[in-house]
Amino acid sequence: MSEPKEIEFEYSRLVVPFGPIHPALKEPVHFKVTVRGEEILDVDLVLGHAHRGIELLAQERNILQNLYLTERICGICSHTHTTCYAQAIEEVKGIQIPERAAYLRALIFELERVHSHLLLLGVMAYEIGYDTLFMQIWNMREAVLDLFEEVTGNRVHHSMNVIGGVRWDLTPVMALRVSRVADGVEDAQRRIRTAFMDRTVKKRLVGVGVMSRADARASCLVGPTARASGLTMDVRKDDPYAAYSELKDDYSVVVSDGMDAMARVDVRVRELAESVNIIRAILGRLPPGEIRLKESPMRAVKVPEGEAVSRVEAPRGELIYYLRTDGNEGLRRLKVRTPSQANFAGIRQMMVGGELADVPVILASIDPCMSCTNRLTVVDEGAGRQMNVGLDELRRRRASTS
Amino acid sequence: MTLAVMFPGVFVLSLLYSGFDRKLHARMQRRVGPPLIQPFYDFVKLMNKERIIPAAASPSVFVTVTALAAASSMLGASVLMTNLVMEASFVGDIMLVMYLVLMTAALTMIGGSSSGNPYGAIGFSRRVGMLLGYEVPMLISLLIVSYRSGLTLSFYDMVAAQSIADVVLAFSPGAALASLVFALCIPAAAGVVPFDIPEAKTEVAYGYLIEYGGPYLGLLKLAKEVTNFTLSLLFFTLFIYAPQSFPVVSAYNEWVNLLFILVGALAVYMVTITLPRTLFARMKLGQALRFYVWVWALSLVSAGLVMVGY
Repeated sequence: MSEPKEIEFEYSRLVVPFGPIHPALKEPVHFKVTVRGEEILDVDLVLGHAHRGIELLAQERNILQNLYLTERICGICSHTHTTCYAQAIEEVKGIQIPERAAYLRALIFELERVHSHLLLLGVMAYEIGYDTLFMQIWNMREAVLDLFEEVTGNRVHHSMNVIGGVRWDLTPVMALRVSRVADGVEDAQRRIRTAFMDRTVKKRLVGVGVMSRADARASCLVGPTARASGLTMDVRKDDPYAAYSELKDDYSVVVSDGMDAMARVDVRVRELAESVNIIRAILGRLPPGEIRLKESPMRAVKVPEGEAVSRVEAPRGELIYYLRTDGNEGLRRLKVRTPSQANFAGIRQMMVGGELADVPVILASIDPCMSCTNRLTVVDEGAGRQMNVGLDELRRRRASTS
Repeated sequence: MTLAVMFPGVFVLSLLYSGFDRKLHARMQRRVGPPLIQPFYDFVKLMNKERIIPAAASPSVFVTVTALAAASSMLGASVLMTNLVMEASFVGDIMLVMYLVLMTAALTMIGGSSSGNPYGAIGFSRRVGMLLGYEVPMLISLLIVSYRSGLTLSFYDMVAAQSIADVVLAFSPGAALASLVFALCIPAAAGVVPFDIPEAKTEVAYGYLIEYGGPYLGLLKLAKEVTNFTLSLLFFTLFIYAPQSFPVVSAYNEWVNLLFILVGALAVYMVTITLPRTLFARMKLGQALRFYVWVWALSLVSAGLVMVGY
């Protein structure tokens, strides 16, 4: 994305550093936005400000510890990551989780989608300076987070998944609370939809960050960002996991042909309603039985050598895990492809030609999760040099320090 | 002399108004909000902080504009308050006040552009655009008031003329449009959502304020709060305040009248500054300027109506 460009000198051309610390960004990422007046001429993206070396760390730890490690890749879709990881391990082990566990996984999954979409919609309102809507939406999100605490014990890192099932059962009392929150979300969804139809909001979102269907396909966009450009793709339908194969008639894939930031917001607002449908279906049809395989942790880490690819539909799009076990309680390789990583490919296309005021709107509209995306960058300030550190370099450094 | 006494008064009142603004804003968002005197805490805190001048800035301009901006805004508000207390004024003081309000905005912009930060430069250019939008309609609506009050350019004479004629200008046919124009210009002059484009935090990270911190930021924030106070006071006294129309108040002495003016100005503050920033999303520069084209047109229509005798 960042080949050096020949820029002839122009007095009015200004490179605006957007980040890594900026009020519009909740996480560190650096955009070099070249503007003339308000018009965006070029965008360059520098990632790597929050690199944590998780893939390498995963090779050091055993399979159970990695469950908690992957949970910490993202604070918003933590359940998504553990589900994806647990599925891959279960595939290598060749085990089938109980039906009730599959339903409970899907339940937490949809609640997480609701909370993630509410978060994004609130952030979007904040980016366009509509603080009141932002506060209202996040107020609703609080109810979902509190529900998480009641059901799983934690607001953010739920630790709901174990290898071979889930940790906590859903009691009838809890089920009632979940359905009450679902009602609340449905009500809030209608109000949010009305609020985003407001004229002052539309002025900021319609026609901003246009991504045509063909371009979206060419840039391999995923999730709501792709669906807002008219691409019908949803892992839940295309390659069902957890309980989604039984739930496939209870919801539909939300697609929009708007192709702009408004469409991306609209897709997410409508997905809230679909998630509520799924949650209701799960509560109505929750099968009885065990919630996990009875297996001691000592045996759970015994996984034969093998490899697996697992994918799920995270709130932001398709999340892919590739892992290879070493047959000795550990992993030889863990590769995580997060949806934000795919969606960043479309950023330049969306921004160039727009206005500087559109930058935060476009960014928020793809709902980026920076820390999911980071690779290490070393900056040598003395020499004014900057380089990305690849895997080979990391290996070499690791060898020299250990 | 009274002018000097007015400075602390204006200081306290402006910060208090800003406290009301923040509290109401929070309540409308279902938040608890800061205590009423939070702006005082903020001011004291900022005054005690470290002074930092960025290496890329031109230090003398960067520092002096903050004091000048605070002083000119305070002077503007004090002139108005003194007139109301002393019940006297000098010719052209309304122009002086408008000049000082504009001066405060201009000084803040200059400070931002001297900071050497690209966001400061963008904030500067955006503010110039906004100034073109709201400054002239605002002056036109003031001139309409002046015309209606018998072609005077002294603030107290304008208030007194309305008082004698016993007419609330905001409700009189010709000047109602002028008052609407002035009210529509206040959010832009105060720099609040939907017109906080020059200092939009998610876009340009506070624009011209970006490099300011500590006492310098404290002074600039004070200048902004005092400007907001001045604008709402101007609006209330010029368009709504006519003591004879409010017999309950005019029966008492001038101090009650003054209190009435202050409460009225607070109400204007709430309606023209707090409400829009709670209800709307931020506009883009082009959209805001298109909006102010209509305000320009409105101000000219209003001027025409008044000229032909409405």
